[in-house]
Amino acid sequence: MLPRVAVLFGFGINCDHETKAVFELAGAEAHRIHVNRFISGDSNLADFDILAVPGGFSFGDHLGSGRLLGNRMRFAMRDALRDFVDAGKPIIGICNGFQVLVKTGLLPGPGAGESPDFVQRGSLGLNDSGRYEDRWVTLEFDQNSPCIWTKGMTRISCPVRHGEGKYIMPTPEALEALSTTHQLTVRYVDPSTSVGEGLSDTALPYPLSPNGSMRNVAGICDATGLVFGLMPHPEANYARWLHPDHTRGTAPIGTGDALDSWEGEGLQMFRNAVEYVKQNR
Amino acid sequence: MRDVRGDVVRRQLQADHGCSVERVRSICGYLIQGETASETIASRVDDLFADPIIEHGAANTLFLSTELFDQTPDMVVTVGFKPGVTDNPGKAATDGYLTLFPEDRDARISTYTTYAFYGTSDLDPTWLAGTLHNNLIERALVADRTACQGGHWPALDYPTPPEQVFIQPKSIDLECDDQTLESISTDGLLALNLEEMHAIQAHYRDEEVRTLRTAHGISPNAPTDVELECLAQTWSEHCKHKIFASRIHHVDHETGEDTVIDSLFKTHIMTPTHDMQKDVDWLLSVFHDNSGVIAWDDTWSVCMKAETHNSPSALDPYGGAMTGIVGVNRDILGTGLGARPIANTDVFCFGPPNWEGTLPDNLFHPSRVLRGVHAGVRVGGNESGIPTVNGAIVFDDRYIGKPLVYCGTVGIMPRNLPDGRPSHIKTPVAGDIVYMVGGRVGYDGIHGATFSSLELTEESPSSAVQIGDPITQKKMVDMILEARDEGLISCITDNGAGGLSSSIGEMAEYTNGCEIDLATVPLKQAGLSPWEILVSESQERMTVAVRPADQAAFEALAGLHEVEATPVATFTSTGMFHVRYGEETVAYLPIEFLHDGVPQLQLESEWTPPEQQPFVAPKQVDHNELLSSMLQRPNIASKETWVRQYDHEVIAQTAIKPFVGVERDGPGDAGVIAPLHGDPHGLVISCGIAPRYSDIDAGAMAAAAIDEAVRNAVCVGLDVDKMAGLDNFCWPDPIESVKTPDGRFKLAQLVRANRELERVCRAYRLPCVSGKDSMKNDYGSGENKISIPPTLLFSLFGDHPDVRNSASSDFKQAGDRIYLVGHSQQELGASELAFMMRERDSNNGIGGNVPLLLNPEQNLATYRQLSSTIHQGLVKTAHDCSEGGLAVAIAEMCIGGRIGASVDIDGTGEGDLWARLWGESLGRIVVAVKPEHEAAFLATMKGHPTTILGEVTATSVLEMVDGDTLLVSSDVNELAHAWKGTLDMTGGVA
Repeated sequence: MLPRVAVLFGFGINCDHETKAVFELAGAEAHRIHVNRFISGDSNLADFDILAVPGGFSFGDHLGSGRLLGNRMRFAMRDALRDFVDAGKPIIGICNGFQVLVKTGLLPGPGAGESPDFVQRGSLGLNDSGRYEDRWVTLEFDQNSPCIWTKGMTRISCPVRHGEGKYIMPTPEALEALSTTHQLTVRYVDPSTSVGEGLSDTALPYPLSPNGSMRNVAGICDATGLVFGLMPHPEANYARWLHPDHTRGTAPIGTGDALDSWEGEGLQMFRNAVEYVKQNR
Repeated sequence: MRDVRGDVVRRQLQADHGCSVERVRSICGYLIQGETASETIASRVDDLFADPIIEHGAANTLFLSTELFDQTPDMVVTVGFKPGVTDNPGKAATDGYLTLFPEDRDARISTYTTYAFYGTSDLDPTWLAGTLHNNLIERALVADRTACQGGHWPALDYPTPPEQVFIQPKSIDLECDDQTLESISTDGLLALNLEEMHAIQAHYRDEEVRTLRTAHGISPNAPTDVELECLAQTWSEHCKHKIFASRIHHVDHETGEDTVIDSLFKTHIMTPTHDMQKDVDWLLSVFHDNSGVIAWDDTWSVCMKAETHNSPSALDPYGGAMTGIVGVNRDILGTGLGARPIANTDVFCFGPPNWEGTLPDNLFHPSRVLRGVHAGVRVGGNESGIPTVNGAIVFDDRYIGKPLVYCGTVGIMPRNLPDGRPSHIKTPVAGDIVYMVGGRVGYDGIHGATFSSLELTEESPSSAVQIGDPITQKKMVDMILEARDEGLISCITDNGAGGLSSSIGEMAEYTNGCEIDLATVPLKQAGLSPWEILVSESQERMTVAVRPADQAAFEALAGLHEVEATPVATFTSTGMFHVRYGEETVAYLPIEFLHDGVPQLQLESEWTPPEQQPFVAPKQVDHNELLSSMLQRPNIASKETWVRQYDHEVIAQTAIKPFVGVERDGPGDAGVIAPLHGDPHGLVISCGIAPRYSDIDAGAMAAAAIDEAVRNAVCVGLDVDKMAGLDNFCWPDPIESVKTPDGRFKLAQLVRANRELERVCRAYRLPCVSGKDSMKNDYGSGENKISIPPTLLFSLFGDHPDVRNSASSDFKQAGDRIYLVGHSQQELGASELAFMMRERDSNNGIGGNVPLLLNPEQNLATYRQLSSTIHQGLVKTAHDCSEGGLAVAIAEMCIGGRIGASVDIDGTGEGDLWARLWGESLGRIVVAVKPEHEAAFLATMKGHPTTILGEVTATSVLEMVDGDTLLVSSDVNELAHAWKGTLDMTGGVA
């Protein structure tokens, strides 16, 4: 049986169609499930192997991005989410989904070996520019991160599309702790650096870092490496024809062959989780 | 921690007004009306209102009086909404509040923002408050320096809307003299002319009508207020397009022509499209639905619609533009049995953002209009999850009087639903239940349709302005598309202009009747009178018909999505538009009279070519300086900082983005999307607009707009054999009257534009499948009157066989060979260069030959060949040559590639140097080809005008010569700097 992915939608989530599509291209069976179907018991989260919280503007991002959907999940899906994480099943939050996972407390989550406690430990603030922007960025991954979503990935480019993506931890110690456990999985880098040498703790200038995140953080994982969230949109580079350089003939080729030579660099992230489920269930 | 909200205000004061303020701090406020004890709410502040990591929260106290504000500000401004105005953050807060306090069901939350200013020098607090709010929809309180020092902080109360007074339906006696009839129309904001009032009067004199009405217990001899309002909405210029349907007596003093045109629309738009429909099998639905539908492949069809929202955007740029974009999204949702919106386009016409002249009363500065309109479509589009893939911003002084805000949307739907019904055909039958779905009906949005058919005055009603609510709409879109796929929908349309009166009234034509009960309609506030409920244009509503057997399933789906869906009417076959309020019949109008009873207008049109002082090329000139100046012109300058704030990539389908090239800051000619994930089959979306050509000839203006839309699309790889267009006319009032003494001329401009539209569209085999017109784009009267230049926006959507073979405007590689496809003519009239020279010296003119499309058949053949070279992969670089001519086009291509070029304009046409360098002749595209593809390219282009210009060079210099004469030698980085500076009104990121 193919790994089953629940792609959440409703209340202003709006990347549900493409998120479903990339999981299918990566070899999974994906379903768009309205949040309320999980809350009402119409659908059971335990029937799925992967949960994806896609990008969008849940509840218009009023009162802080991801806040209101995060609250719905924190209060109405608490047990189902805890069981899902405890069962060792992967979760990804992209853009608004990342904001939701941070506001629910699933990211960065408690220390290793602990069940989710739904305590918010970090946050995402307004971009320093004060503007929502859609622009392509270069990302590099921490090779020592426990994150199962990013295994084997070194550097990719994909777009950011957000106004509230500045990752913040309340204290330098808390941030350092995440760094030590390699939970600062993915960061904005200067594309002119050599691959593997881009990661930097010094804040990059706008627009290399589009938002002013602490240590240029673009995404983080929990202590298990199964729950992962990031502001940029890897699904938006599932095919090379979506890369801004494709007419120049210089759009990088992805690692798989879902679209022959036209697979984009972002698809591997979804394939990683699908393969993980196949090997670990 | 940085206060970004405050920083944004500080930067904008600097960028727009040159005011330097040291620091601005912001506070988000929530006013709660509910049953929950305030201590209980206070204990949960960090669970809802404040982020525990990055914000401070407090309850029952003003932050300004806490130790967080230990330094006394110089000034404080608090801005909140006026009662009854849509407050989206408040609505979301209420939703979140109910998650925490589900028992407090009737709680309501209103939001406000407080700004504390430090280091303001001598700013006037009232002026400052004026820049921060729009008093039509918002209220502001101010604390000046003295008040701040005394700790007297502004505190807003919860905005309780005034009680609405329910007015019993009454009848209005029309047995009166003409003067009284006219004043009934004027005083009631009905916008009905005397002839139309006479037609209504006559209806109520009909004995048969009187007998029927008596039988239904409704005033037999006179319309009810409900009926009169309903007729006014349905017969409004906005809904019935009376000018386009009019009988026009047209006289041409140039040619001596004296003729009668029976409906511009039928003659020049509908007939040509219907003729083309006979030749192709892909024109599925044209004109009659909310958008035009074409078959895209065997499984999917696509549709497109563009609308304008000019008058609301003039009053409240933010709310007006937002309702524009979410409104046109609903046109797509209401097409056939429901299409999914997948791409937006935005085209704006504004006054110059750097305008330093005087402003007439009640008009905003163009920079404020730009900011507000941009923010409205940004929020509307982004929050709806629909990418903005194409657009334009045009500037001219006359748009100060009325900004033009065009919003377009492309939709996609399966050609057949799972139950086998073709999705582009509505299938209602008598007995179907009609639901109102989405938002509720409120006092906001009353008289929008009739108001937009009047010119802007000081008394324009604030109730005509609304703010959209994208999230309520997004929930509704999700729900309706599920309902469609489950086969639950038999008919659907948008609630836009005219509200329920139009939406149910139009759908009732299918079954020939309906019966509405206004007492069942859910209201935002109690006390609305029946006529207000019927015509209110409150946003985010669709009208959906459902078979009785499907009602339970439909309502369950609405419940799941938390969308309100209420049965309010039933389709009948009685031939009557029957409206009740409870048991009482309040309107009883024959469907035929409602839709076809409006008398045809009889109008006069007279063409005399306008006299313009001709453009004369200057003697002494530095083309390098001209190029730099032209790139800085608002009409040419980069719009990147604005466009980048639109999500142009959601749905993961955008293959050619609005900005292209190495630094992703070169201009994209058209949007290309591949909407089926994993499939490179594409769709091209483009537009053309050239309003200033109307100063010489509005016909030429129309032809130029169409050619530009096609050219832009060809540049990225359009299949010219499958394209469709949308015509959106925005005109000044073309009806001769005391207020409009030049009405005959303005109508003649409209006639000429329509004739060119037909000629060019027939030649291009380009059917217009949908369109709209907005005909009262004037401000004021007499000497102070401002009329916009007649403006046609032509939008295009068409097939792209494979997005992997697309081209973009950026130069790719040194050595690539540069060609001009097309010819330059001696056509500098109304060019951007001419306008620049006139601004420099008012003795200069802009007259002369305006670009003409003499042989469109030849152009189409050339475009077809060029498209084929792109589809073969021979050409990866192509750019439309328009405003600013060849010089600007090539400069933009260098900027996109951040690379130099060496170009010789000798041999590019018959015109003089000025025409060849700066002229805007139509039909021209600049192309670059790799040397190894040059022979194959030339072979495909054989027989079509294709002239070598030069090549891309491994330098950072653009060099242009005319034979032996050096014209331009400019550093590409400096050109980029010039091009990107003018409209970067962000104030930076510091």
